[in-house]
Amino acid sequence: MKNLELKILTKIIRELSHFLLVHGFKTFSLETKVEDKVTYFVISIDQPKKALLDKMNERISRERELEVETYGWELLGDMDDKNELDVLGLLIDDIVIEEKPNQAVITLSRVSRYKD
Amino acid sequence: MKTLYLKLKGRMMMPAIFLILFAMAFSFDSLSAIYEGYLNILQSPSVLISDYLEIGGLGATLFNVATIMLINIIMLNRLKVKMSGPIFAGLLTIAGFSFFGKNIFNTIPIYIGIYLYAYYQKLEFKSFMIVVLFSTGISPIVSYLIFGTGWPFYIGVPAGVIVGIFTGFVLPALSAHTIRFHKGYNLYNIGFAMGILSMLYAAMLTTLFGFDLFVFGTTTSEAYHYELLILTLVLSSVFIASGFIANRKVLRKYPKLLKRTGRAVSDFIRDEGRDITMVNVGVMGLISVIFITVLRIEINGAVMGGILTVMGFGAFGKHPVNSVPVMLGAAFWFLLSPVVTGDPAGVGLAIAVLFVTAIAPIAGRFGVLFGIFAGFVHIVLTPFTYVFQGGFDLYNNGFAAGFVAALLVPVFEFLKKNVPEEEME
Repeated sequence: MKNLELKILTKIIRELSHFLLVHGFKTFSLETKVEDKVTYFVISIDQPKKALLDKMNERISRERELEVETYGWELLGDMDDKNELDVLGLLIDDIVIEEKPNQAVITLSRVSRYKD
Repeated sequence: MKTLYLKLKGRMMMPAIFLILFAMAFSFDSLSAIYEGYLNILQSPSVLISDYLEIGGLGATLFNVATIMLINIIMLNRLKVKMSGPIFAGLLTIAGFSFFGKNIFNTIPIYIGIYLYAYYQKLEFKSFMIVVLFSTGISPIVSYLIFGTGWPFYIGVPAGVIVGIFTGFVLPALSAHTIRFHKGYNLYNIGFAMGILSMLYAAMLTTLFGFDLFVFGTTTSEAYHYELLILTLVLSSVFIASGFIANRKVLRKYPKLLKRTGRAVSDFIRDEGRDITMVNVGVMGLISVIFITVLRIEINGAVMGGILTVMGFGAFGKHPVNSVPVMLGAAFWFLLSPVVTGDPAGVGLAIAVLFVTAIAPIAGRFGVLFGIFAGFVHIVLTPFTYVFQGGFDLYNNGFAAGFVAALLVPVFEFLKKNVPEEEME
């Protein structure tokens, strides 16, 4: 995997951790699976607010834009307010939210577009 | 008619703006005057501040603006690049700086450099399109090496082209790195990256070759103030009207947009919609007109560049709430400067009142008073950054804004610990 992709994946993990901590989640799990070209980030959180999940879905499910990714990926992980998921949304291809009683499992996936 | 409007709306009116500028070029000057003026523009060293209105006249300058816009619009269409906020901002910035420094001749080597970087990185050229559009702010280095050094063409031309290609080649990596320095609070990040490169070029040309980089001085022409004022009002009206045609209740969306800090990467087209973004672009144009009118600034090529850039960034981070405070801070020093120094405020300070909006996200995040202070610090710093970078970086305000943001944001964060945080709505 290209070094640039590894750096971006590391930043995504940092941004997600920061986002969850900023929103007051004291217990959460963040699992990362790298499979060939696709990387999955699986987050499990307890008792999330519906509004938070909806906003995450809205912000992250937008179309990925490679032009903005190459320009602004270094800003990932420097979140200044609770609402800043815009940059992350540009780097994620897909989001699936599975709501269970008192728990949610959020799966984000990203396809590497960088050739080795 | 409706189909045409939808197509234009999809491209944020850019083809219409190209046509307006192109038609205006031929309505002001004869074909021969445009030809002669255009040759003068192409052969100008183009370092800050080389006003093409003075060098080539209004017709040739508008022809230069229109042709550069056309080439970039064609490139974006061929590469199927979506008209997002940063792309729109890049196009209008290119148009603006084609009034004072950018021409077809000095921009191409830089594009080639970025293309080679993309090839080297095995990435699509279009993925660097934001850098491509803003990269030409450093194009004067190409013109200077060819026309400004006094070197024979067999040395000057290869030197200009090679340095231009090298600049394009390193810029994508450099700009990705510099955005961390100011954490996205400087909207002209590539201007900051180019300022660092320009500083290196200026030092080398001065130290190794003994050139006086400021020998060309500042050339401006205020002879077309009213024509350009009307052009700005027409363009602003076109954008506002287009927003209302797209959606009569468009203003209902404005409060949400105005709450954005504007920090990079804020794509208003993507996040808030084309209709309200077009209105915001037009409003930013009108705000620029109000400021220059109140401050009695006459429009020359550089000021026009500032107005178009402010309008362009109306889709990529700037809005009245975050821009007016920093403009007020800059306007304060613009008015005070003649009293303190005894000299009239020059064109550098005049354009800084517009380009200070590079740090609009500081006001967006920390509020009005911090914004005014940041605007004041910015305008005081710009004359010094100009000397550092030798005039090769047309985005001198972007260079200054990088330092202002990097300096003030950590201090403001320290002073204002309990910044109201936006809650998920």
